[in-house]
Amino acid sequence: MVDDGPIISARDVNFFYGAFHALRGVSLDIRANQVTALIGPSGCGKSTFLKLLNRMNDFTPGARLSGEILVAGRSIYGQDSDPVSIRRLVGMVFQRPNPFPKSIYDNICYGPRLIGAKKKAELDALVEKALRAAALWDDVKDKLGKSALELSGGQQQRVCIARALALEPEILLMDEPTSALDPIATAKVEEWIKSSGMSIVIVTHNMQQAGRVSDYTAFFYMGELVEFGPTMDIFTRPREERTENYITGRFG
Amino acid sequence: MGQALLLRPKLSPTEKGARLFFLICALVALGQMLLIMVFLLGEAAGLFKTTSLWDFLFSSQWYPTYDPPEFGAAALIVGSLAVTFLSSLIAAPVGLCLAVFLACLAGRWREWIKPAVELMAGIPSVVLGFLGLVVVAPFMREVLDLPTGLNILNASVILALMAIPSIASLGEDALTAVPREIQDASYALGATRWETIWRVTIPAAMSGLSTAVILGLGRALGETLVVLMVAGGAARIPGSLFDSARPLTATLAAEMGETAIGSPHYHALFALGVVLFLLTLAFNLLAHWLGQKWRKR
Repeated sequence: MVDDGPIISARDVNFFYGAFHALRGVSLDIRANQVTALIGPSGCGKSTFLKLLNRMNDFTPGARLSGEILVAGRSIYGQDSDPVSIRRLVGMVFQRPNPFPKSIYDNICYGPRLIGAKKKAELDALVEKALRAAALWDDVKDKLGKSALELSGGQQQRVCIARALALEPEILLMDEPTSALDPIATAKVEEWIKSSGMSIVIVTHNMQQAGRVSDYTAFFYMGELVEFGPTMDIFTRPREERTENYITGRFG
Repeated sequence: MGQALLLRPKLSPTEKGARLFFLICALVALGQMLLIMVFLLGEAAGLFKTTSLWDFLFSSQWYPTYDPPEFGAAALIVGSLAVTFLSSLIAAPVGLCLAVFLACLAGRWREWIKPAVELMAGIPSVVLGFLGLVVVAPFMREVLDLPTGLNILNASVILALMAIPSIASLGEDALTAVPREIQDASYALGATRWETIWRVTIPAAMSGLSTAVILGLGRALGETLVVLMVAGGAARIPGSLFDSARPLTATLAAEMGETAIGSPHYHALFALGVVLFLLTLAFNLLAHWLGQKWRKR
């Protein structure tokens, strides 16, 4: 894998939910074409940080941010930045599979249609490409017209991945993408993450998963970024005592 | 079957007693329904000794006090359907837009508009009818230069006022029941708020929204006082929006007090009741069917 330098840079990010100080001075460079895992105990700010990267916290009432986040060199909270175009650049997969109650085909086409894709041939090609990229094409190619809700949980989650990929985003955010899946479906999604070659940021509360899929790991605790580095280093020789205590299961 | 029986948990006497009690309550409701139907049908049957079913349904000659009387209900049925249909043309779009506004767009306006809608739903129909009589009717007569302001359009406007709050409130429930997760998915794919409402929220709530409209229509169809007060009361097949009409409910309410029990007129009014009952039933079945149909997708 090629390491192309940072695709996301967070600089001294502070985030508040009303009076609650959810992120404290987080600075972090996330590398392109690598998988970065965000770990830490519940409420440590890892999901909050993830949602800042595609501005999904915009809907939270009373949310305030200071600091700067650059995605592909653009300040996404700058004055002239537009959340809609940022979300096309930064795709997201959620904790629970959330396909639309539409056909598999229409699920995948949702994003492209928003930006004006209409031609049948073009959409067909997009659907196949996205489903192949999500390693789901062979499972569903004969039932594209069926409701996505009829698929198993693991397949639904891969429809959601394919749906995000159909917009050809630069970065994919994954918020505990396997927490609602069984072990076999989890393995398939993890396999996909490892082989995708994309820039992926994944939040997980499962440290084995972070160890299995990620190249870099960031450990959050109480709203602070405690430690960030290559996954191998974080798991074998952490610099901080809090990191070590967490990954050895002493708390969390 | 023996095996299946073995799997049934043993009920204690208290549980059995409770079950029996609730079963009886349920049967009372069912029994009432059946008795009303039997009574309606039985009393209506008397009419068909003198009038054929064909004449009753398709003749528009409603002269119950002539000698011999004529009981053609077509004008009344058309009157009912006309005001219901026209009021739905007004109430469905307004009610649904209000529902979308309340559920998806209102923000802090919601705490003012929601109680207002609920208050509107609570206005007694006689008050609305009065409004139609003393405000809308003179206004129509003067502005549109009509012989009377008591007509189909007036009744439809007032009925729409009644149906809008129930459509809005049921529709809002349907829209707020759409899972937050799929709306987030839409935003995360770069949809704007409007695109999300239009392409995800509304389609996902379609079953509830169509039920809301049909139940609103059912309410307009069954409403009596408003149409009695403002529809004008002419038992003729209306030719335009500005003609008077005499819907089924208004006919029943106006004439029931003046008929001798057991007379042909009395039986004819019951037959009107049966028609009204069947129309309402049809609306409810339609609502149910639409609900199922959309849910499957």
